[in-house]
Amino acid sequence: MGTAVLAPHRGPRDAAVRLVLVSCAALVLLTTLAMLLFLGQAGLKGAREVGLVPLLTGALWKPEADTFGGLPLIFGTFVSAAGAVLVGAVPAVFAALWATELAPKSTRSLYRRTMEVAAAVPSVVYGWLALVYLVPQMEKVAHHLRGDAATGGEGLASAGILLGVMIAPTVLLLSLDSLARVPSALRDASAALGASPWQTATRVVLPHGWRGIVVAVFFGFARAAGETMAVQMVIGGARKLPDSAFSPTTTISTQIVMDMQNARPGTPGSNVLFAMSLVLLVVSVVVVLGTRWLTRGARTT
Amino acid sequence: MTALASARRNESGAPEAAAPRLRRGMRAGRILESVLGRLLATVALAIAVLYGGGLLYLLARGGSRLVAFTTFATPLSDVDGEDAMRFVLAAGIFAVSAWAVSLVVRDVLVRVRGVASRRANRIARAAIGVAGLVGALAFRDHLPRFLISLPSETRAGGGIGPEIFNTLYFALLSTMVTLPVGVGAALYMARFAKQRRFVSALRVALDTLASLPSIVYGLFGFLVFVVQMKLGYSLFAGAIVLAILNLPLMVGITEESLRAVPRELEEASLALGATPVQTALRVTVPYAWPGILSALVLSIGRVFAESAPLIMTAGTTISRGTAYSLDPFRGGETLAVHLWYVNSAGLAPDRADVSAGTAAALVVLILLTNVLASRLARFGGAAGTRVRHATR
Repeated sequence: MGTAVLAPHRGPRDAAVRLVLVSCAALVLLTTLAMLLFLGQAGLKGAREVGLVPLLTGALWKPEADTFGGLPLIFGTFVSAAGAVLVGAVPAVFAALWATELAPKSTRSLYRRTMEVAAAVPSVVYGWLALVYLVPQMEKVAHHLRGDAATGGEGLASAGILLGVMIAPTVLLLSLDSLARVPSALRDASAALGASPWQTATRVVLPHGWRGIVVAVFFGFARAAGETMAVQMVIGGARKLPDSAFSPTTTISTQIVMDMQNARPGTPGSNVLFAMSLVLLVVSVVVVLGTRWLTRGARTT
Repeated sequence: MTALASARRNESGAPEAAAPRLRRGMRAGRILESVLGRLLATVALAIAVLYGGGLLYLLARGGSRLVAFTTFATPLSDVDGEDAMRFVLAAGIFAVSAWAVSLVVRDVLVRVRGVASRRANRIARAAIGVAGLVGALAFRDHLPRFLISLPSETRAGGGIGPEIFNTLYFALLSTMVTLPVGVGAALYMARFAKQRRFVSALRVALDTLASLPSIVYGLFGFLVFVVQMKLGYSLFAGAIVLAILNLPLMVGITEESLRAVPRELEEASLALGATPVQTALRVTVPYAWPGILSALVLSIGRVFAESAPLIMTAGTTISRGTAYSLDPFRGGETLAVHLWYVNSAGLAPDRADVSAGTAAALVVLILLTNVLASRLARFGGAAGTRVRHATR
């Protein structure tokens, strides 16, 4: 806003509006700080009460006996999210490549709209669908593979597939965005040199847009790791390390939402949940930092 | 595309290949290329069919409960505010249906005549209003029973009336915080910020907020409102948490829409002697308003979809006495929470049908917000970026 030589009179109303705007911005900042502070405080208290090493490496989570070993939770979170990336994010990236580079022009916008709706569908809906349709199928697979040792369809594998289905539209849309940001002059130049669409896609567009795709997969992973209710519906809720991909286990967020209802506020049982949420916080901070690092220099806004 | 098409033509026109010309179709690896290309297409189309089909299935499976209008008037039960709720719901259903029809009609008209006419728009708007009013007056007691009855934990025949009310009420409550704070912060960042460090701190804060899993918001709300302020489970706590959750989305898209306002307009306003504040409030914000609304609609979509933070701040119960109460300090569940609760703790024998109906209602709401947001964004200048913000 360039200041003119003949600056107009700034009445008290202007100053008031400016004050309101600054306080809105400050409110955003303060809220974030307050959130981190509150959670950090309660979480560190919980970590001190139980001890950091037992909390992260103990293999049994039993709040009623004051045993808080967080390893099954962390393991479940990371393995199911990794499974989701494998099941959902990888095909989504390929589909995004097809949809921006190889698909007929007329289908592109329809494809995008379908995926936008799919990405907006609440995760609980995906969770319910998985509970009703995926879990019985997984039970059959489990019995087929492991015989009587199998307990049921709920477990790590179901959670991974569910999360994969859940994050795929998001990853796809983010990848689409990043590929669409590749300057079309590059595509034209490549085509003018005689490259086929496939060659243009794999040798020009991908090398130019891969950072955005990695960011998209990061976000997919973070979203899968943080998902709560949908996972709670299919993972089984056994608070121990799983014996196999088909046995029930638990995740950090699932356990937080289940235990918080019973834990008395201020007790170790409650504080330790805040400590576990810090693990999720670390995941998202890593994602933010990784994103910033990958897109440094690039135009972001 | 043309290259692919010509490559295909070359494959089929094999006899012509006798001419010793340098041609694209003959280079090494072209078979592999076409196989891989088809593979990608298969994957992509399989994904589209999976999600598109899944959505259609959801609507088909649960949709019948949403449109089962009754021929006999459903008597009012003794719940406060039920009559008003029915009125609003009927008006909403009929107005939205009229809106959907008008969209289709307008599209057809534009295709046929080539231009959108203002008069048709005005007629459409009037028709939507009339449809809402007539629907509310004539059909409010004939709404599908599923949409207006109370949920039941143990017996069959439970509905989702209070859940629909709570879901919409949550959207209203959280909007009351998200809209002013989000627009204020975005306007500050886009036009008035002077200290660079403050702005970059703000950006880091927004990035962090955007990347936090929703359960963390739930924990925060639980700790602050439910435990420390001793409010218990309340809509108020849930709405505040949802508002914070939506701030990054709101600020991000709003800022982008504000920045997309043509500089010439603002300079003209300044040249006429308006102060920067006057310019911002009377030129910049009105111009960017569709984009701001589209951000708002997307954030309302998030309110509809979110479950974990609400379970921890607003609880999972509906109490009969306050089912349709406007008091924000009572607890209550939304549609998304209900869908989870019915399947994890509900004992009703028809919970599969109830879930299907609830899921269909949710999907309809989400579809509406999606269509509305994209129509608004078309005027708002931030169409390409909304998805990046909307999907964490």
